[in-house]
Amino acid sequence: MPLLSSILIVPILTLLAILLIPNRSVQLIRWVCALSGIITGVLSIQLWMAYDPVAGGIQFIELIPWVPSMGISYHLGVDGFGTILVMLNSIVYFTGVLTMWDLETRVKEFFAFMVLLVVGVYGVFMSQDMFFFFFFYEIAVVPMYPLIIIWGSGNKEYAAMKLMLFLLAGSALLFPGLLAIYHTAGLHTFDLIALSQHTFDPDFQIFVYPFIYIGFGVLAGMFPVHGWSPTGHVAAPSAVSMLHAGVLMKLGAFGVLSVGIRLLPQGAVYWAPTFSTFAAIGIVYGAFVAIRQTDFKFVIGFSSVSHMGIVLLGLNLAVLGKAGSDALNGAVFQMFAHGIMTALFFSTVGFIYDRAHSKTIADFGGLGSQMPRAVSIFIVAGLCGAGLPGLASFWAELLVFLAALKTYPIVGVVIIIGLVLTAIYILRVFTTAFFGPPNDRWKNLKDVDLTGFQLLPRAILVAVLVYFGFVPRAMLDVINSTTTAFLGKF
Amino acid sequence: MENALLFAPEIACLIMSLVLFFCPVFKASHRTVYSLAILTGIFVLAASLYTLPLSGEPFFPGIYKVDFFSQLIKTALALGFLCVAIICRNPLTVHISAWAELPLFLLFSTLGMMMMVSATELMTLYVAMELAAYPIYIVVALHRNIETNGESATKYMVQGMAASAVSLYGMSFLLGAFGSTYFTDIATQFAQASTQPIFYVGLLLTLSGFFFKLGAFPFHFWAPDTYQTAPHSVITFIASVSKIGAIAILCRLLSLATPHAWDAGHLQTALMWLCILAMTLGNLAALRQKDLKRLLGYSTIAHAGYVLLALQTFSQAGFTAAIFYALGYFVMSFACFLVISEIGKEDDLVSIESVSGLYKRAPLMAFTLLLGLFGLIGLPPTVGFIGKWFLFSAALERGQFYLVLVAAINATIGLYYYLMVIRQVYWVEPNTEKTFTPSPLITVTALAAIILVIAMGTFPDTFWELAERAASALMS
Repeated sequence: MPLLSSILIVPILTLLAILLIPNRSVQLIRWVCALSGIITGVLSIQLWMAYDPVAGGIQFIELIPWVPSMGISYHLGVDGFGTILVMLNSIVYFTGVLTMWDLETRVKEFFAFMVLLVVGVYGVFMSQDMFFFFFFYEIAVVPMYPLIIIWGSGNKEYAAMKLMLFLLAGSALLFPGLLAIYHTAGLHTFDLIALSQHTFDPDFQIFVYPFIYIGFGVLAGMFPVHGWSPTGHVAAPSAVSMLHAGVLMKLGAFGVLSVGIRLLPQGAVYWAPTFSTFAAIGIVYGAFVAIRQTDFKFVIGFSSVSHMGIVLLGLNLAVLGKAGSDALNGAVFQMFAHGIMTALFFSTVGFIYDRAHSKTIADFGGLGSQMPRAVSIFIVAGLCGAGLPGLASFWAELLVFLAALKTYPIVGVVIIIGLVLTAIYILRVFTTAFFGPPNDRWKNLKDVDLTGFQLLPRAILVAVLVYFGFVPRAMLDVINSTTTAFLGKF
Repeated sequence: MENALLFAPEIACLIMSLVLFFCPVFKASHRTVYSLAILTGIFVLAASLYTLPLSGEPFFPGIYKVDFFSQLIKTALALGFLCVAIICRNPLTVHISAWAELPLFLLFSTLGMMMMVSATELMTLYVAMELAAYPIYIVVALHRNIETNGESATKYMVQGMAASAVSLYGMSFLLGAFGSTYFTDIATQFAQASTQPIFYVGLLLTLSGFFFKLGAFPFHFWAPDTYQTAPHSVITFIASVSKIGAIAILCRLLSLATPHAWDAGHLQTALMWLCILAMTLGNLAALRQKDLKRLLGYSTIAHAGYVLLALQTFSQAGFTAAIFYALGYFVMSFACFLVISEIGKEDDLVSIESVSGLYKRAPLMAFTLLLGLFGLIGLPPTVGFIGKWFLFSAALERGQFYLVLVAAINATIGLYYYLMVIRQVYWVEPNTEKTFTPSPLITVTALAAIILVIAMGTFPDTFWELAERAASALMS
């Protein structure tokens, strides 16, 4: 079976298997999920190895006509961006399953919904057909609602409803946008490769691009339509936050990139100054709001808005040409790095919450002495967020900043301020919660640190961050040729 | 004989209705009646499937036409009757004295709709429409609890009759404008007639009778009340089977106007506004509902709007999308009402709270309802998503960008109230300890509905081709 279809079919089979396993065989369900995580992980590594970075372009193409009279086909294929994002999804999926290993309530349904989400995400990253792109995109969004209302915490009903309304309002913009692209091209095909070779009328591009950008941008946590994202992150259970912030938000950015910018280059250029301003505001605004948060998860939630701002800024700077390839490389690298980093954040916060049943930063103090390992891991994620050299985000953020300074010096300066603010809110969490005198309230917490099995998912994530921090070439080699080809239009 | 074979589905309906008619006369037990009803469904379905590839104008040329379009719809109607017959084996909400007659009336109505989609002459169409409508007026009023049901049944009947009177009035205008009641004559003279206001008045008035059946604005007032208080099995029939009939006949009538209507404009503009109003009104009103069936009643108004979105394009793509959506909507709506009539077996009214914790009490039913609602929202991998995609695509083919935007925003509004139901099903703790195990037949039907909702959504090609063939038969 072709590689991409195999990666897609494994979670689908897992889903069917989970549905057939009786409710009480909880352990079996977990193992099935873990196994499917391992298989997709191995297949993703194989994909990464087999992808030819020198040749670049879209590889591993599979094409089956689906609804021929409408020009819909099952068309898979990945470029360099798709390759690394498939990898990202596999990592977060596997570690997410391990993070939720101890879940006791309604295990079967949880994993069923989670696997459905994973199927959708894989589908988006691989689809070269606009219909299936949107189809999988919606599939990835749907399970968020039950996942948050059933297994979430806090103000979860509000959060879940807000999330769904925001995301589907985004889809409401995409519906006419995508269909207008199809009908205007007049090629009777939803094939993204064919459509990307068609040159659309500039006026049409300028008209329709905002619909695509904002429609996908909602999911990417674009300022000012990011409101669903922090509340959603906070209310969701750990693994769902991991997938949600780590992977799902990337779908939005990936959609902007591989539908918006790819099909409508002139529209993208026209709107880039406006949208990069929004992105820059998002970076600083997210960081400012994060400083004032009292809840661990809210800090991370707003930091995601800030960090996804960097991705969106990179995408917009890419089309402006002055430092296009740096900006695009940085943006895609940041998608990956931020995905791993937030997964690590949420997985660790989830762990601390499960032990202490509090997410309020001020409740803690000196936690480092009780949970040295968990806290160290959290610190790694935090430093990565602050852009410390030696961790993956450093390179990603550096590339985008350089591009920003070259293109719009003022924006460059503004986002460097954003970076400083990031350091402030991260360090504030460290000092209040992890260091200083131990809080008496937690002195009864004994033997609560990460051990053995629980350490595994976090260790994988840390290893990935460090690896790409020291060997950024491993990443840039894969995406650079795609970037070059991508920017050929500008 | 050849000709008679073309009538197979209708003849099957007639024969079986005689059988069902004599059942109460010979005091057959309810069990026998309902087994016979299911048999009837299978028999009619087989007859329809047999005639699916046939075409012709048996006995009455120009009046009654058998083509792929009509036979596809008849097959769907027969399947619909079968499904409803399966779920009304134990129609507790129907007054006990009427149990034996219920399938008979539903079968008559099915027969009426079958004739309606084949009719190609105004008087035949009108007679068929009344045959489809009258049995429903009766069964809507058969609720065991007159207090909840009396008002809405009366309302339904009075409005239905008013709508069909208006329809008849409109037909008289058409007769005046064209000097003929034959569709073929109307179609050929269309170009000249379409410049006259009398023609538009006539056609819009004629359509109103069918808008009533579809529940489209401004003939929707019956829907919420009737949905809420009619017996469950009856409303299942109205919500699923008779929607297919209504959409089909609208396709048939509007296809007459197709070559010129888009350019001429007025008719299209009128339909477009009806579409916008129906979607918006249905969705906004549904937001505040507490009764599950009433909520779906409002949602049906919104869905009538989505269908009109495709119909007002007057294009082959539009008709194909509408036919496809009619088939899809039947399955989704049936999935929802299957669950409602199971859980509401003993209740007169089904509030949203009554499905709380359904996932614990009956997991399969909960899942069926979930998929049905996902379909109505328009989420993949259900047929609702691809159906909407086709509908919206048809409108965008005509360049109606903002209309599609309005429709898509409406779909987002709809999300809220459907999710409130899903929340009850999957999250809220059950308010009763009562669990229930559906009968094997219901289980199989529910599974079939689930599979169909997903299969039509993920492998739409076969169904799309059927719809396309039907639409091209319609346009020829």
